[in-house]
Amino acid sequence: MLGDRELIVVTGKGGVGKSAISAALAWGLASRGRRTLVLETDPRETLHRLLETPPSDGVVVKAGSRLWLQNARPQQEIEALVRRRIPIPLVGRTVAASPVFHHFVEGAPGLKELAVLGHALRLTRGEAGPDVETVVLDAPATGHGVSLLAAPLLVADVIGAGPVAELAGEIAQLVRDPARCGVVVVTLAEEMPVQEAIEMRGELERRVGRSPDGLVVNQLYPPYPAGVRGPAATRALWRDRRAVNDTELLRLRAAWDGPMLEVPLVAAESGPALVGVLADHLDPWLGRA
Amino acid sequence: MTADPLHARLLVVVGAGGVGKTTLAAALGSVVAADGARTLVMTFDPSQRLKDALNVGRAAADQFVRVPMAGQGSLDVSLLDARATFDRLVARYAPDAAAADRIFQNRFYQHLAGHLAGVLEYMAVERLFEVAADGGYDRIVLDTPPTRQALDFLEAPDRIIGFLDSGALRIALKPWFTRGGVLRGGAVRQRVAGWLDQLVGLSLLRDMAEFFQAFGPLYAGFRERARDVQGLLRDRETRFLLVSGPGEERVADTLFFARRLRQSGHHVAGLAVNQVHPVVPGAADAAGGVGLLAWLGERDARGIAHLRRLVTDGTPVADLPLLPSPPTGLTALDALGRLLLERLATAGPNRRSPRRGKRS
Repeated sequence: MLGDRELIVVTGKGGVGKSAISAALAWGLASRGRRTLVLETDPRETLHRLLETPPSDGVVVKAGSRLWLQNARPQQEIEALVRRRIPIPLVGRTVAASPVFHHFVEGAPGLKELAVLGHALRLTRGEAGPDVETVVLDAPATGHGVSLLAAPLLVADVIGAGPVAELAGEIAQLVRDPARCGVVVVTLAEEMPVQEAIEMRGELERRVGRSPDGLVVNQLYPPYPAGVRGPAATRALWRDRRAVNDTELLRLRAAWDGPMLEVPLVAAESGPALVGVLADHLDPWLGRA
Repeated sequence: MTADPLHARLLVVVGAGGVGKTTLAAALGSVVAADGARTLVMTFDPSQRLKDALNVGRAAADQFVRVPMAGQGSLDVSLLDARATFDRLVARYAPDAAAADRIFQNRFYQHLAGHLAGVLEYMAVERLFEVAADGGYDRIVLDTPPTRQALDFLEAPDRIIGFLDSGALRIALKPWFTRGGVLRGGAVRQRVAGWLDQLVGLSLLRDMAEFFQAFGPLYAGFRERARDVQGLLRDRETRFLLVSGPGEERVADTLFFARRLRQSGHHVAGLAVNQVHPVVPGAADAAGGVGLLAWLGERDARGIAHLRRLVTDGTPVADLPLLPSPPTGLTALDALGRLLLERLATAGPNRRSPRRGKRS
């Protein structure tokens, strides 16, 4: 069950509907009584459209009775991290404003990712806004998604000692612990996304030392039944697109060792209606109300 | 072919991830090659299906592979390898082999080359420049990396120049450590470095300082090169094709990107809305898959109409249908490429006289 994790990371190739699945997971958990925040890091915000709130612009926005969303800014989180670790405010500000520091942050591998995960961890401890039980993180597209999860290990490895290394170690532990952190991969049943999902699984095992909890196969055309009526061209397109889906589903069933949920293409624009329908489909993974 | 708005020496295919950029780049490449041009398609991460369609395997990584085809022209395909390009640049601009080796061995470089934001994007344009300068091709089609921020690609040369010009770099370039590995320098640097040490430890700082020192002699060459690359992208002979997915919710992003491209002095030759569901006549109340497809067809038509209304500067907008299944051979790619060119040619420039950009 994903419903009892502190952190759920949702990842997958660009354009597969990660944000909608993230929003639906968060909405589903919140409606089961769990205090949940869904976090995105893309400068072009999408979650607010799905959950019908004003844009976050970096701050936490209430999206329901137990539901919040936030568009986190990695740079902002790093600066916050520096200010917390350097107790003298003026010095903290000086360090954060210095070009050397800026340059360091841009160049140092893994630091931004670490800051985002660190922020998620603080949210689950009630140290960074509302006291939430679960953070759902809408992660960047696949390649970047593994980098995000591998960042704490990389940073801990490169840095070695000091408070950032300590934080990195702490987050690495969280990310590797399947009882505390869930990883959900989203894909379409099409060649490229399926390929990436399968590669992502291997990458995650190699670089992070864990497997994903499950795979959401999103936006499936409905099965094509015999004797269906309608315009010939439309029926042909439906049949052929579903045939592509079936081929890729077969490939996934052979290559994916773990839970898999099939989610249909939904006739709804980006918004609460779509989120509600998706949450119903994710029900088997969400646990009891 | 004079009506072809994409007729330019360099054609850059841009857009968000998952919209079919790579397939369209290959399709355009196969058309211009069949029409007689010596053509190169540079791509990042083609699907196995596309590699099969073009008959290239892993062998094409950082190499040029000739695609067997009929016609007078030729079609080569190259898969970009960012790390190999970066290594080659370092080797070229390093004063000697020992300096290059120092960089290759540096732990920071080893991590950085794969992780630093923009490196992959920059290496794509860098490689394009290499090939364009070489002059062996009449037409080059560049597929761009699948970034969530398509702008990352475009801004890569500017970012590298900004980075090289920044004071931060000059500060970082100063010898921070003595030969014995002890931090030295003035009070401010000592203090900032002192706090950084508290945060991350000195060993990382030492790796970084070493990296920047080893990299020092390469800066001038890199900077000049980035300027040339920037110029090439803004050249009149370089055109951009912006690809987007269908649906009304994508319109704002597409317009935003087109505007940014133009504002930064690039030449947008066309917008392609890809994977459009066809309109299903008289099926508004149909159930099941027909009803779903009817809804999708209507949604996509609305999105395209909205986009066409808002594109007022004469840029042609072509819509391309969702194919029953992805193209699996040169014939299918060729047909797709011709459809795109035909739709762009008939879509614009709109009847009203096209406005020319400020730059001449």
